[in-house]
Amino acid sequence: MSGEAWLFLTAVIMSAILLFTSVFFIIMFSDLECDYLNPIDLCNKLNQFVLPEMIAHAFMTTLFLLSFQVIAFVLNAPLLAYNVNKVVNRNHMFDATEIFRTLGQHKKESFFKLGFYLVFFFYALYRMILALVAED
Amino acid sequence: MQQPQRTASQSLPHPPLPPGWRAQWDPTAGRHAFIEQATGRSQFNFPLSAPLPPPGQGRPLHGHHGARASISGPISSPPIHNSFNGQYRGPPAAGGRTPIPPMQPHPQQQPGQPGQQQQQPQPRSNMPPIPPYGAASATPPIAEHRQSPMQQQPPPPQAGMTSPPPAPRASRRQYAANTAAYIAGDTSGVGAPLTSGHGHSQSQQFFSPASHDPNSQLFTPGGGGAQDFSGGAAAAQGFQQPGIPPYAGGQPGVQGMTNQFGQMGLGGQKQMQVVSSTNLIGLPLNPAEMMSMSPPEIRLPPNASFSQSETRNSDPSYQRSTINAVPTTNSLLTKSKLPLALVITPYRSLKPGDPEVPVVSDTVIARCRRCRTYINPYVTFIEGGQRWKCCMCNLSNEVPQLFDWDQEKNQPADRYLRAELNSSIVEFVAPTEYMVRPPQPPLYIFIIDVSYSAISSGMVATAARTLLESLDRIPNDDSRTKISIIAVDSCLHFFSLPTGATEPSMLVVGDLDDVFLPKPSDILVNLVEAKAAIESLLGRLSDMFKDTHNTGNALGGALQAAFKLVSHVGGKVIALTATLPNVGPGALKNREDSKMLGTAKESTLLQAQTGFYKNFAIECSRSQVSVDMWLFSSAYTDVATLSGLPRYTGGQTYFYPSFNAARSEDALKFAHEFGTVIADPIALEAVMRVRASKGIRMSAFHGNFFVRSTDLLSLAAVPMDQSYAIEIQIEDPISAPFVVFQTAVLHTTCYGERRIRVITTALPTTSSISELYGGVDTIALATLLADKAVERSMQSKLEDARDAVVNKLVDILGTYKATMTSTGSGPSPQLVVSENMKFLPLLMLGLLKHIGLRQSTMIPADLRAYAQALLTTLPSQLLIPYLHPVFYSLHNMPKDCGTIGDQGVVLPAPLPLSAERLERHGLFLIEDGQNIFLWLGRDAVPQLVLDVFDVPSYAELRGGKQTLPVLENAFSQRVNAIIGKVREARRGPYYAHLYVVKEDGEAAMRQWALSLLIEDRMDQLPSYNQWLGQLKDKVNDKSF
Repeated sequence: MSGEAWLFLTAVIMSAILLFTSVFFIIMFSDLECDYLNPIDLCNKLNQFVLPEMIAHAFMTTLFLLSFQVIAFVLNAPLLAYNVNKVVNRNHMFDATEIFRTLGQHKKESFFKLGFYLVFFFYALYRMILALVAED
Repeated sequence: MQQPQRTASQSLPHPPLPPGWRAQWDPTAGRHAFIEQATGRSQFNFPLSAPLPPPGQGRPLHGHHGARASISGPISSPPIHNSFNGQYRGPPAAGGRTPIPPMQPHPQQQPGQPGQQQQQPQPRSNMPPIPPYGAASATPPIAEHRQSPMQQQPPPPQAGMTSPPPAPRASRRQYAANTAAYIAGDTSGVGAPLTSGHGHSQSQQFFSPASHDPNSQLFTPGGGGAQDFSGGAAAAQGFQQPGIPPYAGGQPGVQGMTNQFGQMGLGGQKQMQVVSSTNLIGLPLNPAEMMSMSPPEIRLPPNASFSQSETRNSDPSYQRSTINAVPTTNSLLTKSKLPLALVITPYRSLKPGDPEVPVVSDTVIARCRRCRTYINPYVTFIEGGQRWKCCMCNLSNEVPQLFDWDQEKNQPADRYLRAELNSSIVEFVAPTEYMVRPPQPPLYIFIIDVSYSAISSGMVATAARTLLESLDRIPNDDSRTKISIIAVDSCLHFFSLPTGATEPSMLVVGDLDDVFLPKPSDILVNLVEAKAAIESLLGRLSDMFKDTHNTGNALGGALQAAFKLVSHVGGKVIALTATLPNVGPGALKNREDSKMLGTAKESTLLQAQTGFYKNFAIECSRSQVSVDMWLFSSAYTDVATLSGLPRYTGGQTYFYPSFNAARSEDALKFAHEFGTVIADPIALEAVMRVRASKGIRMSAFHGNFFVRSTDLLSLAAVPMDQSYAIEIQIEDPISAPFVVFQTAVLHTTCYGERRIRVITTALPTTSSISELYGGVDTIALATLLADKAVERSMQSKLEDARDAVVNKLVDILGTYKATMTSTGSGPSPQLVVSENMKFLPLLMLGLLKHIGLRQSTMIPADLRAYAQALLTTLPSQLLIPYLHPVFYSLHNMPKDCGTIGDQGVVLPAPLPLSAERLERHGLFLIEDGQNIFLWLGRDAVPQLVLDVFDVPSYAELRGGKQTLPVLENAFSQRVNAIIGKVREARRGPYYAHLYVVKEDGEAAMRQWALSLLIEDRMDQLPSYNQWLGQLKDKVNDKSF
């Protein structure tokens, strides 16, 4: 297998994992809305996943940059910038006291991420197959 | 709930059957059937053949715990204050435990109303004997009742409205008589000649400056001005009934008017509300009118409730809505641009004469099976009273078996006399189903800062003395209250107070990272058992540390230790600190930078600097620990960060800038407020939920609590007189003619009882935008907008918060103009708004000029943060004067002002808040509930200066914080009486400082006092007339 195929195989796996994280976030938010969970537990739980998710995404984006995959990088750059901005402003963590006021926003964000990872998952899959076909 | 019912119905232990009846077990129904032997009729309801109990019997029990424990005791107060207490407080008999006005008796039980006896009484008095299954005879009265054309009957509420319940009136008279006697006794000996002489000189010198004072031309802008003024004052006088206590619940005058409206409204099913528009530009506003303003009348459809009790809709001081009419659709609400919200003060202190909250103590709590609504005056009884239909979700529920039973007397009772069916506010004693654990005793942990600045400012000494003198007033009826005292500098000092010991021993812990609690059981001790040791400790606390040079303050560590001590039970932590916490966890940096003030960066100073206090608050809220912050400082204390802790735990922040106990005023203020707060009966482990009719959802919450779920607020403690605002969203169109909002606060009282306080408000729905505008409660609206502005300023910038206020106001005014006036959205030289909203622009100007939001480079971040904390927590009664101060002219007040009238001390007519009213020879009083300013003009007559301040001339008078002497002359006594009245008139623990401001005195002080005159121009901020002009232009520019 060529380097490109390996790269996109990694991307497929990564975006699948990220996809599941987004789903997990959305499930947790709707649990909170239905009162199955209290906001303190929710925030404690979700906050463990915030940074790993961002790091995974940043890692994948860096790989694209290093391997000069311009299209893949450009696709991911806006989300990376958004994440970096959140960390710099220190509002990347969920705040139990504010969670109900910002819940709608968080849900919207999670849905958007879910959609993005889904699209990117298929793009990466396509590119991986393309690379594998090109090898033969 | 199920269990006791079933056993009751199976074994029938108590009630002996009336003669002629027989009980038979019915296995199919699983309960007893009752058979009347004479007729063979059978029924499941317990036969009630006994005559109706006399009206008095159904009267609810009354809890002792609504009333503030008498707050009279400012500790070691100088004589002046004591005399005030003696003078203006009634004797204990007239005080907190006044017999409560009986519930509005039912019309049919009131003799002398024969006209009503035909229709109304039937459903009630006849109900019990009629067999419920005999549908033919049982239902008609109800139907009749529901359809009964109201115009044929004299409206029942009228009787109650025109003549207030006898009990409070009697007590009021007693109180007035007492005070009058006191004054008479006082003046008859010495004061008589003096008084008359003074009265004479006063009328000559104070009243008519223009004719007697040769200099009058210099300082009054033309003779006309002076005349204008007196004319205006006279007019104002005529307008206001003197002596009406500001913001009191229901004023007789207004009530008379609503009464008339009520009569009109009863005629037609739903009469179009007439909204009278007013042009604000050039309209003089009378502040007296605002002070006595009550919310627009709630015009429910005539058959909304079976109860005719006048307490069936909630008193606005407990719960009020920004609009007293609910739009049927969300689009109507958005179109009107009005925010819909409830302003709730569930725990309100009771002044003498206030009706107490009725208590339902028989633990029969009827709730809807589906939506869990508590039974209230707006439900309907169906199937002959066997079932009730929920007013929110329309589900039919069974009436509990013991609902018609008086468990104390063991005899049938009339359900229509039950408190929960007559009173919109009621307290249920909760059975064990409402408890996760048995009611816990109240625990109080006092964290007292003993660092150098705390000792040197005298804070520790004052606090210890106040606490010592208040030990007996800490709620402790069942002797379970526990208390602990932790002193903190750079280490933690615990005091071991084992039972029986008379001497405390001190245990010092220096390791702050993982606090170790030495002997926890001896540190947290029972207030009664360890009283001797506690007293000895408090007596010596200040001396123990008097030579300290330690400037550290490990507040974070102390809070964690306190948390560890009480986290298994929950309780109240009261932290007093005079130094910025600088050691251990939760240490803060002095981040104040005067260059940042007034810039966009200023808002960062209003946000918390570390997450420690917020995270700690979340932990506290979880363990039911509430924290009060008492901050004293001459330097920066970071109120913004520290107030985060009370904000999320249901506490309160108190702030004493540049506190120095050497000044008796400072010590007195602190001692009074501290003493009051620790003596207040508090509610612990509380959760609050607001339920509403179908289609309505609570969308946002403002106040000091932790939001635990989409609609559940958790409060570790509910302090007295704190207000919460809850915004409401209309999700689905509403078809019902009226909707019901019900706030329930489940809590443990400090007397070891689990209780539910339920407040029910019913509001009519409307599809007309004019009724929406006509139903706006300006005071509630201003309270909500203040909350929202502060929230906005914490999330983004102060600038944004101010813009948001302006935009909201412009939106409301613009939409009003577009929909309600003939000009539509075209330009107009007028600024039109409905009569009931005419004070809104003025109040919003007050909000924009308020110290918490004002654009200025001079306001320290601490003062701003504290003002913001107050803006979000003060109940309307305190908030409105905080936004729009009250301004009196004292030198020319009418003769009866300051003397005792029907309603206590008579106050002068308030003036509009403009410096135009200040005269060079005058004495004025400006107060906002937190501070009182006595403004004295530079040409004040020496006699006036001598009479009030006991100083021979103006030149010798010193400005600043003072206690006014009580002198042997009538004028001094009247001024003192007015100040006393101003301090006592409102609820809440606050004891306002008195500042004497000389016209040519210290500039900062003068500016501060003048900054309360919000109708004037201030730096870049507009005067009221300019403000109206700006609003008009904005309204004209924008299209709506």
